[in-house]
Amino acid sequence: MELSFKNVSKNYGGIFAVDDITYTMETGVYGLLGVNGAGKTTLMKMLCTVTRPTAGEIRWNGEDIFRLEERYRDLLGYLPQDFGYYPNLSVSDYMMYIASIKGIRPAVARKRMKELLEMVGLSRYKNRKMKALSGGMARRVGIAQAMLNNPKILVLDEPTAGLDPSERIRFRNLISELSEDRLVLLSTHIVSDVEFIAEQILLMKDGKFFYTGTSEDLIASMEEEVWTCVVPRQDVNQYLQKYPVGNVKHVAGGAELRILSENPPAENAVLEEATLEDAFLLYFGEKAGDENVEV
Amino acid sequence: MRFCCILVRKQVTRMLKFEIKKYFSKTVNKLILIVVLLVAVGYSFLAAESMRYTDTDGVSLDGIGKITAGRKLAADKNQWKGKLTAERIADAVRNYKGLRQQYQGEVPDSEYGKKVQAYWDILNFTANVYTVEPEFLPDVMVRISEEEVNNIYDIYADNQQKASEEYGKTPEQEEFIKEQYGKLEIPADYEAYDSWETMTMYIQTYVIILVIVIGFMAAGIFDEEFRNHAELVFFAAKYGRSKAVRNKIAAGMLTATVVYWTGAGIMSLISFGIMGASGFHTPYQIEDPYSVYVMTQGQRYLLIVVCGYIASLLSASVTMLVTAKMRTAKVAVCIPFFMFCMMLFIARSLSDVTRVVYYTTDVLTNVIQAVKVPTLFQIGDMVILQLPFVMVLYFAVSIILLPFIYRSYSRYGLSKRRSAKENRKK
Repeated sequence: MELSFKNVSKNYGGIFAVDDITYTMETGVYGLLGVNGAGKTTLMKMLCTVTRPTAGEIRWNGEDIFRLEERYRDLLGYLPQDFGYYPNLSVSDYMMYIASIKGIRPAVARKRMKELLEMVGLSRYKNRKMKALSGGMARRVGIAQAMLNNPKILVLDEPTAGLDPSERIRFRNLISELSEDRLVLLSTHIVSDVEFIAEQILLMKDGKFFYTGTSEDLIASMEEEVWTCVVPRQDVNQYLQKYPVGNVKHVAGGAELRILSENPPAENAVLEEATLEDAFLLYFGEKAGDENVEV
Repeated sequence: MRFCCILVRKQVTRMLKFEIKKYFSKTVNKLILIVVLLVAVGYSFLAAESMRYTDTDGVSLDGIGKITAGRKLAADKNQWKGKLTAERIADAVRNYKGLRQQYQGEVPDSEYGKKVQAYWDILNFTANVYTVEPEFLPDVMVRISEEEVNNIYDIYADNQQKASEEYGKTPEQEEFIKEQYGKLEIPADYEAYDSWETMTMYIQTYVIILVIVIGFMAAGIFDEEFRNHAELVFFAAKYGRSKAVRNKIAAGMLTATVVYWTGAGIMSLISFGIMGASGFHTPYQIEDPYSVYVMTQGQRYLLIVVCGYIASLLSASVTMLVTAKMRTAKVAVCIPFFMFCMMLFIARSLSDVTRVVYYTTDVLTNVIQAVKVPTLFQIGDMVILQLPFVMVLYFAVSIILLPFIYRSYSRYGLSKRRSAKENRKK
């Protein structure tokens, strides 16, 4: 089971949304991280055959996914970032419709729908119209519809957008459960969504992957250390300009800052354990714009 | 193998069912459907109410009683049902002339109700045969002699000969018209046909409404994914670029068919239920003696309905194609209005400039006028009447467009690939 990108580019009127990506994915959870406009959604659309690359090829087990057509889409589950649905259909009708266009037999679809709605906690709402659902509930239906055909490739574009913290935790657990024996590509700009569940992290910027590897390797690759220190409030701006600052918390006697720096930024600075969020800050913060950043 | 076929068929039916359910789950679409059906009911009663019957006291039916006018009128006129021989026509003309003489030119309403109303169609037929061009009937009745009335079918044959020479632009066309006239049964068989005559006008208008509404509905089926931003899930699904698209097209055509025949059916059932269906077999030539369309009154009605159905299919195909291309129904929904309403006026104003207007789509929704005008097409030695030609042409177009709709919709987002080199250059 191998999904590979070979020099894949997507050009919109001279602008490269995806620029010459070559990469291979196998089973497991891949966390695609990048700021807005990095090209994550375009990449996922291509992966889901919604749009074709202007150059390069995407291959599934060595065959072009655009040639495989139905055979490839049969393996695919997709939750787009801009998840649209038919507002006047009930949840169960919506699921059954999607099941029908996914080629799932009605009896199987009914059973699967029941399981999935239970899994995403929407069993009680199966007769409710889609338009009457909250944003988070609709998103959960989106996740359920993506899973209807028990896909080998699950593509989730910003799946936690609109979910409350408890739903996000539930979702993360769900993905962990689902990731066995399938390829899950999960795009987000919320680092904590992928920090503990993604086996591979793909950092994307300006249409390119500029880092691929495990989160541990990514964190280890940082030259900067992570420090916390309490500084006088009037000095906060000065620190913000000088260092990438992950967090500012007002405490008694000043402000507690989480700073990325090779050396202790202050005398009272305490060395902390780096997280994926720190790496994200480092590469996508102000310094991420620097062409000379080495990863 | 057979089991697989059954499963696939079931799945397709299910997909189609959901496609239609999805569309009609929207309140506005349900409302449109209800309004269309209400218009059918309303039009039926208007048609029935537009009939005029005068009783033997010379009183015209009024108020709620008018609803029975159609059946009473048919019963009255059907006293003259049967072959319209020259002798029977002469009887009618003689009686009318006698009454005019008796009352110095003004036949009172009571006499009209007692006698004239019953044979009025026969007088009309006689006058139209005699004068070719429409004239005020009482004037014609004054002018026509008893001898001419007795020879009315000879006059008819002479005038048919003249008409074929005048309308036939080539020897083939002339021969064709003669052949058409030769199909007429002489003497004509008469039965009161007022309900059919009245209904042609109402059904023609209703057909235009249906065609525009069907265009709007069909466009909505193809607009739905884009309007709701549901296209990404749709196209990423297994059948999102194949069977599901075919089902959308099928849903569009099925909606067009069901809505059209339900609307036209309800209107016809109510109208003829109220007015009666007397005169289905009456030749259309009783009303328009020199028309080259040899058919009965009932057949003319059916011709209007069938042409309307072809217009509906065309309307659905065109709007689906434009919506599939443009990813929005905003422009598409205006197209049927242009094709079937505005085109009518454009064609009329350009009819002296170009013959192209004889082929335009509005002909399908203007059958009443089309059967009056002897427009012929000739391909080699073969001569074809305008309506069959236009019907075949646009039915074919509406079917031919379907693969283009499929291609246009199913290829969404899959633009032609460029080589990496070209891509870089760009």
